[in-house]
Amino acid sequence: MNDRTENLLLALPGLVLLVLAYFVPIGQMLVLSLSGASGLTLEHFSRFLADPFYLNILWRTVRLSLVITVICAVLGFPYAYIMARVSPRLRMWMVVAVILPLMTSVVVRTFGWMVLLSRNGLVSQWARDLGWAERNFQLMHSEAAIVIGMVQVLLPFMALSILGVISRIDTRLEEASRTMGASFLGTLRSVVLPLSMPGIVAGSLLVFTLSASSFITPSLMGGARIQVLAGLVYKSVTQTLEWPFAAAQAVILFVGVLLVLIPYVKISTPRHG
Amino acid sequence: MVKSVPTAVRVLASVLVALTMLVLLAPLVVVIGVSFSESEFIAFPPKGFSLRWYEGVLTSNTYLASAWTSLQIALLVTLTATLAGGAAAVALHRGKLPFSGALATFFLSPLVLPTIIFAIGMLMFWSRLFGQVSLLTLWLSHSVVALPYVIRTTLAVLAESDPFLEEAARTMGAGRLQRLGFVVLPQCVPGLGAGAFFAFNISFDEAVLSLFLRKPDLTTLPVQIYGQLEFSPDPSVAAVSAIMIFLTVLMIVVIDRILGLQRFARS
Repeated sequence: MNDRTENLLLALPGLVLLVLAYFVPIGQMLVLSLSGASGLTLEHFSRFLADPFYLNILWRTVRLSLVITVICAVLGFPYAYIMARVSPRLRMWMVVAVILPLMTSVVVRTFGWMVLLSRNGLVSQWARDLGWAERNFQLMHSEAAIVIGMVQVLLPFMALSILGVISRIDTRLEEASRTMGASFLGTLRSVVLPLSMPGIVAGSLLVFTLSASSFITPSLMGGARIQVLAGLVYKSVTQTLEWPFAAAQAVILFVGVLLVLIPYVKISTPRHG
Repeated sequence: MVKSVPTAVRVLASVLVALTMLVLLAPLVVVIGVSFSESEFIAFPPKGFSLRWYEGVLTSNTYLASAWTSLQIALLVTLTATLAGGAAAVALHRGKLPFSGALATFFLSPLVLPTIIFAIGMLMFWSRLFGQVSLLTLWLSHSVVALPYVIRTTLAVLAESDPFLEEAARTMGAGRLQRLGFVVLPQCVPGLGAGAFFAFNISFDEAVLSLFLRKPDLTTLPVQIYGQLEFSPDPSVAAVSAIMIFLTVLMIVVIDRILGLQRFARS
């Protein structure tokens, strides 16, 4: 036995698992999306792409994912920067505040928001007390509710992606900028922000992908009327049982995500995680 | 070093951090609060204090059955992903593999591919080939998702290990199995340990695959909670959810002991 054989043997169990339980099923789904009563067909795709109802859902998915990504980046960058620069003790707590939610089931976290945003929930009550909303107002079952829930779910991914990059930035660069007369915010804008860009881009791609493809939080927070693409896929699979159509929807989602991901494959480094 | 961060910026930064932490932790705090409530209805801030919902959960057959299902799957997944992922990480680290670059990408690809796409593929594939889904289906598909995490943590540990130890063992006459068992494996242990905890956590919390691949007698805990949330949540859902949060806290403490959270957040 030579080294190559030994390594191949070591990799084999994982490889077999991935090929049989991952690669082949996804291939099977691709095939199913193209299969009709009489051989290969694109009818499931044209059905989706010709119907304003579905296009509307697609558009909402893209729009909400963009909003969620931007909010995560705006909150995540300062958080990650501060996390990288504070004392180790404080950093520890900031890391825990990111990792604890990250490692808690999405279902559990969404439940928390459902309580807060429901008609009797704290947030809806505050909005009414402050006179921002009328009497029967509730935040649940709105696009805003989806955004709030998803930002909490995905912010940890963004913060960790950016932290990974910021913690490798040489702090002497910032000192140099300050000694040469730049203000603190000026340094942040023209030194730290450009250097953090790889982290922000990687984090944004990850957040966009995850948010475009999630259905648990959107369907619980948005309710039955406000649907997103992934929720539609789930419904087609479990309720209307139109599998080839569901497969076609999943492929549309898949292709959409790939179009966003492929140009950046080199920097895509999701940190766990 | 020029230290002067303007006071206004400092204040603003503290407020920003406090608010972000509030947003991150609020849903967890709310769930825990509701779970100790005395009232029949879900209310936050909770009214009174009682453990009745915990008692209800611990005597409910539905919850106990799904907890048992989740636990079985999570343990099987932990074992599978740790063994297969750890071995694959060693091979990837050594790099002497055909197409090793492409192989590494393939191994880590479940991290970026949306789970829903894999879930729907798995459901269609399994039904076509074997009919009904079973525990085995969830075991295999959770393992696929957990695998890259073990590979990552093990690779991270191996990257910091001494590459000459194995060479030294070789020149001293150790065989392949001896080198793997006495040199490589001990080096991997922290990575394997952390990876195993992640694998358990991922499987135990996973809801997308479990929702697609469910049937009445194959309901994991997150699926059970999801079902309750869709229809009639009462504080017992909060108690189950709170138990899951406590479990996560416990796991984070353990991972911190094994690997150190600081290092993990940077790696």
